[in-house]
Amino acid sequence: MSLDPALRERIESIIRSDRVVLFMKGTPDAPQCGFSAQVVGILGQLLPEYGSFDVLSDREVREAIKEFSSWPTIPQLYVEGEFQGGCDIVKELYASGDLQKLLGVEVETVEPPAVTVTDAAAELLRGVIASEGGELHVSIDASFQHSLSLGPRAGHEVAATSNGLTILFDRDSARRANGLVIGAADSGGSQALTVENPNAPRAAEVNQLSASQLQALIASGRDLHLYDVRTPEEHQKARIAQATLVDARVAEQIERLPKDALIVFHCHHGGRSQAAAEHFASRGFTNVHNLAGGIDAWSREVDASVPRY
Amino acid sequence: MIEKIRQALSAALPCDSLEVRGSGGHFSIRVVSSAFAGKNTLAKQRLVFSAIAHLMKGDDAPVHAIDELETLAP
Repeated sequence: MSLDPALRERIESIIRSDRVVLFMKGTPDAPQCGFSAQVVGILGQLLPEYGSFDVLSDREVREAIKEFSSWPTIPQLYVEGEFQGGCDIVKELYASGDLQKLLGVEVETVEPPAVTVTDAAAELLRGVIASEGGELHVSIDASFQHSLSLGPRAGHEVAATSNGLTILFDRDSARRANGLVIGAADSGGSQALTVENPNAPRAAEVNQLSASQLQALIASGRDLHLYDVRTPEEHQKARIAQATLVDARVAEQIERLPKDALIVFHCHHGGRSQAAAEHFASRGFTNVHNLAGGIDAWSREVDASVPRY
Repeated sequence: MIEKIRQALSAALPCDSLEVRGSGGHFSIRVVSSAFAGKNTLAKQRLVFSAIAHLMKGDDAPVHAIDELETLAP
C-alpha cells in the first residue's frame, strides 16, 4: 500500500520538526491514552521539551503515520528522523539506559539500595526460586506499589544482596528502595511475603469533622474554605450555603491557597470528599478536613431544610 | 476475533506457541517463534504487528490495542 505523496511529505516534515517527535494521543500535558501517558512520563524525566503530535487532532495523520512507520499502534517515537518504537520498546530502552544514550542524556549510576531480607522471607524465596527458577525482581512504582516477580536477568538491573539473595531492581525502583525490608508473615495459615518501604509517603493526615463541628466552625467566623466535590447536578439538588462547588478552576484556586489554610471538603456521604481531602493533604496542605457523613449528615443533624436525596 | 488474529499470525510466522487473549478490541498476545531469534524488540514486535496490521486499520478497527505483547524465541 502506498501513501499519498502529499501526506508522506507532511509526515516527514512533522518528523523533521524536532530532534525528538512523539506521535501520541493527546498532548504531553494531557495524554488521552495510557500508553501515550507512559511514554510521556519517561520522556518528561529526560527532556525539558520535545516535539509531539496529537493524532486525535488529525485523522489523516493518525492513519498515515501507521502506514509510514509500518507500525499499527500509537504512540510512536521518532528520534533524529528514526523510528524507535512504541510504548513497550520505549520502556525497554529506558530501563536499559539505551534511551538516555540515544537522547544524549547523562545516565548516572544508581547505587544498589540497602535491602534487608529476613530469615523467614529468605527461606520462602529460596524455595520458590528453586522450584520456579529465575531471579527475584522487585519493582516499585511512583505511588510505592511493590511487585515481586521471578524472571531472567536482563543485564541492566541494579542488584542488591541480603541474606544470600540477590534482588534486582530497575533504575527507578532502585532509587525508591533504600531501607526496604522484605519479610514474611502468616496469612491464612501459610507464609506470605511482606514488603516495608520507609520511603513510601505516609498516609496523608485528614481530620474528620462532624456536621455540628462544621456548624460551630462556620459560626466562629474563622477564615474557612468549604468545598463541595459533588457533581453540579447534586449541588443543584441540595447545598450548604457556604460551600463552593469544585471545578477545574476552583481546584487551581485551592492549589494556590496558603498551605495552612483551613479547608473542609464535603460530598454526599463523605467518600469522595475524603479522597479529595487526602489529595490536598498529600500536596502539603496541613489543615484539611472532611465532613464525615457528607451533606446527608448536615441535613440530618444541622439543617433539615437542606433536602436529602 | 481471537481466531482471526491467530490465523493471521500463524500464516505470517512459524509459531512454536501462540496465545491470544482479550476482547472488546483489546488483546494480549504471546508468541514463541524461531523467527524472533537474534532480533531486537523493535524487529520482533514489527513482525507481529505487520501480520495483524490489516486488523488495526481505520477508526472502527476490530483490534484497537495490543495491551501486552510478548515475543519470545524458543
